[in-house]
Amino acid sequence: METQDFGSPSRQNIMVIVITLCFAVLFLRLYQLQLLYNEELGKQSEENSIRTFVKEPIRGYVFDRNGKLVVDVGPSFSITAIPSEFNNQNLDFLASLLQTDAQTILERINKGRARTRFSPVRIRRDVEFKALSAIEEHLFKLPGVSYEVESKRYYPTKARAPHLFGYCKEITDAQLTKTGEYYRQGDVIGSSGLESFYETFLRGEKGFEYIAVNSKGQMLGSFENGKNDKTPKEGFDLVLGMDAGLQAFAESLMTDFRGAVVALDPNDGSILAMVSKPDFDPSVFSGVTPAEIWNKLNMDAEKPMFNRATMTRYPPGSTFKMMIALACLEEGIIDENYRITCRGAYRFGNRIYKDQGVHGSTNVVDALHKSCNVFFYQLVPKLGLDKLNEYGLRFGFGKAAGIDIGEDTPGLIPSVEYYDRVYGKGKWTQGNLVSLGVGQGEIGVSPLQMARYAAALANGGILLQPHAVHLIRNKRTNTMNAIEYRAEKIDIEPHYIELVREGMRRVVQEPHGSGGMARIPGIVSAGKTGTAENPHGDDHSWFVGFAPFENPRIAVAVMVENAGWGGTKAAPIGGLVMEKYLMGEVRRRLYIAPMKKDTVIKVTELRRE
Amino acid sequence: MNTFFKEYLDYKSLAICLALVVIGLVAIYSATFDINNAANFHRQVIWSLIGFVAMVLAAVFPLKSIQRLAIPMYVLILSVLFVVLVVGKTISGSKSWFGVGGFGIQPSEFAKILTVLAFAAFFSRTTVSLSNMKHLIGGILIFAVPMGFVLAQPDLGTTIVFFGAMVPLLYWAGASRFMFAAILTPILVAFGALLGTTPFLIAVAASAFLLYITRENYFAAAVAFGITLAVGLSVQIIFERLPAYQRNRIATFLDPGHDPLGAGYNVLQSKVAIGSGGFLGKGYMRGTQTQLNFIPEQWTDFIFCVPGEEFGFLGVSVVLGLFGALLFHGINVAGHSKNKFGSMTAIGIVAIFATHIFINVGMSMGLMPVIGIPLPFLSYGGSALLANMIMVGLLMNIYANRKAY
Repeated sequence: METQDFGSPSRQNIMVIVITLCFAVLFLRLYQLQLLYNEELGKQSEENSIRTFVKEPIRGYVFDRNGKLVVDVGPSFSITAIPSEFNNQNLDFLASLLQTDAQTILERINKGRARTRFSPVRIRRDVEFKALSAIEEHLFKLPGVSYEVESKRYYPTKARAPHLFGYCKEITDAQLTKTGEYYRQGDVIGSSGLESFYETFLRGEKGFEYIAVNSKGQMLGSFENGKNDKTPKEGFDLVLGMDAGLQAFAESLMTDFRGAVVALDPNDGSILAMVSKPDFDPSVFSGVTPAEIWNKLNMDAEKPMFNRATMTRYPPGSTFKMMIALACLEEGIIDENYRITCRGAYRFGNRIYKDQGVHGSTNVVDALHKSCNVFFYQLVPKLGLDKLNEYGLRFGFGKAAGIDIGEDTPGLIPSVEYYDRVYGKGKWTQGNLVSLGVGQGEIGVSPLQMARYAAALANGGILLQPHAVHLIRNKRTNTMNAIEYRAEKIDIEPHYIELVREGMRRVVQEPHGSGGMARIPGIVSAGKTGTAENPHGDDHSWFVGFAPFENPRIAVAVMVENAGWGGTKAAPIGGLVMEKYLMGEVRRRLYIAPMKKDTVIKVTELRRE
Repeated sequence: MNTFFKEYLDYKSLAICLALVVIGLVAIYSATFDINNAANFHRQVIWSLIGFVAMVLAAVFPLKSIQRLAIPMYVLILSVLFVVLVVGKTISGSKSWFGVGGFGIQPSEFAKILTVLAFAAFFSRTTVSLSNMKHLIGGILIFAVPMGFVLAQPDLGTTIVFFGAMVPLLYWAGASRFMFAAILTPILVAFGALLGTTPFLIAVAASAFLLYITRENYFAAAVAFGITLAVGLSVQIIFERLPAYQRNRIATFLDPGHDPLGAGYNVLQSKVAIGSGGFLGKGYMRGTQTQLNFIPEQWTDFIFCVPGEEFGFLGVSVVLGLFGALLFHGINVAGHSKNKFGSMTAIGIVAIFATHIFINVGMSMGLMPVIGIPLPFLSYGGSALLANMIMVGLLMNIYANRKAY
């Protein structure tokens, strides 16, 4: 019996339509995959089959002003793992080889996986040679595990200068998200001092090697014959203004003290030496810094990580008198013949302000020479706070110097607003200003600012921007690039500066001066001592100076905490530093009075095993 | 001479088939070049030569004799399938192979076309009619028996192909709308059952509605509904008993993102391969997904990725275009064939090819579950190529005899 519908044209059409629809669906999907999603899927296919290996560049070297290598690099080995290929069953074995716990490794791999599954993640930096060879021996059992060669810091000279050189540390998660593409987990990044400030110059440029892998993760060789590979580019070198010998010498002088030394070249503002004590050995930060060392350094009551040279703010004491004198001379409050008669004390209102001696008839040069307080007590009330601030700024006080090793304190020169804020409006009198004239009270200055001030007095009134780095060597073009720094002429009559300089010369060179201990055999030097009154304990000892008197080549500021009178601690240190720099070595016996027994500090010395 | 060729030589089928075979060899070479020095390619070249001879024989063998031999051959293949179940080699989880020297033979590949031939031979008898319930059940049984054997291997993919061939054949043979609904509703409900309770209930309701509006009498509709429900409920039980890898494949289809390194891995990598090909492709032998073996056993079921990745949208359009031309041409041959046996066989062949193509390509692009069935002419596999070329030969035979009753 024949069925009517057999192979009817309508059924034939429906079949054609059904097949057409099916093809339409396939083509739509093809269009979607190959044309719409092409970019995304293309990237996935690349990630699939190409492993990117980062080649770490060699970090730049640091040389001192004489071309001596002061910050070196050496090889350091990191163990890495590719998250997509690492087998978690090997976790315990790997942990035992690295002598660490499995949890830490797992955490690092998982953190790396979140960024990219297919690129090696550092699971441990700076492994010891023993661990490295153990891993290498078992590499075939540990798919995805490999090692990388990186550089780590060495400090070949005796100059430690940890606050200036700074250190590198493993990048934190917060930094990783902030710095974007360049860094990856486990990278070291300059975290303080030069290392931080010049990070982008020092780090160089990472290289990349692209290796094709098959679906099992086996390396098949370089991708497209290494056409896309990039060789790492070495970091730039820094040439410092520092004299490594001087730095080491200054550090040795300060070994038992808490304080700072800053020595500048008064001709260009480069830092010849910068010491902050107590300090630490910067090599504790090369490679991996164990948490306990890091904690110890941070918790140490002596604050070895704190850069006293740039961050402390103490009153300058009598070392401030040169500035007061210059401000009053320039403002016409006094002139070179202006004299007072010092009777050993000064009355302002109901209060008596004492001097250390009776100086009799005193002009400005005498007042500096003999450090007559009475002469200066009367000056700031006449000068006024606004002018004090104005002249302070001209000499770099109350404003950060802008140094290239990190932050530095602006310090403080009190203003009307400041007193109103601290004491309340109308609750302070001109009496508050009397002791400002001798550098006591609310004034806060850093040793760096004082060195800059000494340099300005040395060079006849040019305020320089203090800086550690002098030149940057571009290793790609092999050119030395000088960095421009600020130099501002201080608007003060040169003759007045000469008067002040003469006073400073007498402080060191003539009898009755407080700076006799800074005298250098055979070289005329100048300076001024200071004693910063300290309401919390023993006074701080100051010295600022420069040498030779004509054509100075070094200006120095020394601050020793709780050392009492400036003439006995800070002045000899300042003298020795200048002598060492100018003469190359110090032949005479070093004598700096030791600290009182109960204030001798204990410097925690940390060393890596 | 010229008119003779036009009249009797189905050059369209021939050209399309040869083009696809060549494309297949090119793709297999690319996929296996570094895996086994293209040994699969060399074997496939031999199979295609054998296939060509078989195709020519199928094209020139008297169609009437084929019709007469259809049922005996069908019985023979059933017994072979049964023997395979007992003594066959197990390859990728299925007992579906006969080992003959280095060449394995997969009888189920030939069972498909022989079943179509048997069905066509049965319904082209003048004494047999679809409207006769006994005959209808007989026709369905012709498919159901080999399907049962194949499912027992277990080979879900080939079972689905049998089904994919049966439905259009019944339709072409003139099955009424109700009959059609009665066949489709169990599938609908079975699919719903795999997805979950709510889809299952929706499918049941839709089935009831479908059977109601196409009903010829209430009794038949009720029976059909009962069967539908029974199928739906048993699917859940069968699903539980499926081997883990197939259960996993179905689960992956329902949620492609899950288990990316298991069953979903192939689909992900396959999609990446095709998608990364873009408009023009990465160039021959230059597809990274293919050359670096990211798609396991790519030369068999995932061969479509090779033209997808290396020749891009343009290349794939050519492949799909050839397939489309073959299918439309096959329907055309069926429509023009004056004898029922030839017409039904042509539709059966079109249906087998179409099921393979849509499931395989759909699977490669993540539109279908990963069901292991090869892409005709392109996938590596001797039995499949041989069977496919025999089917094209039969199509050419039907074309040549289209005017004979």
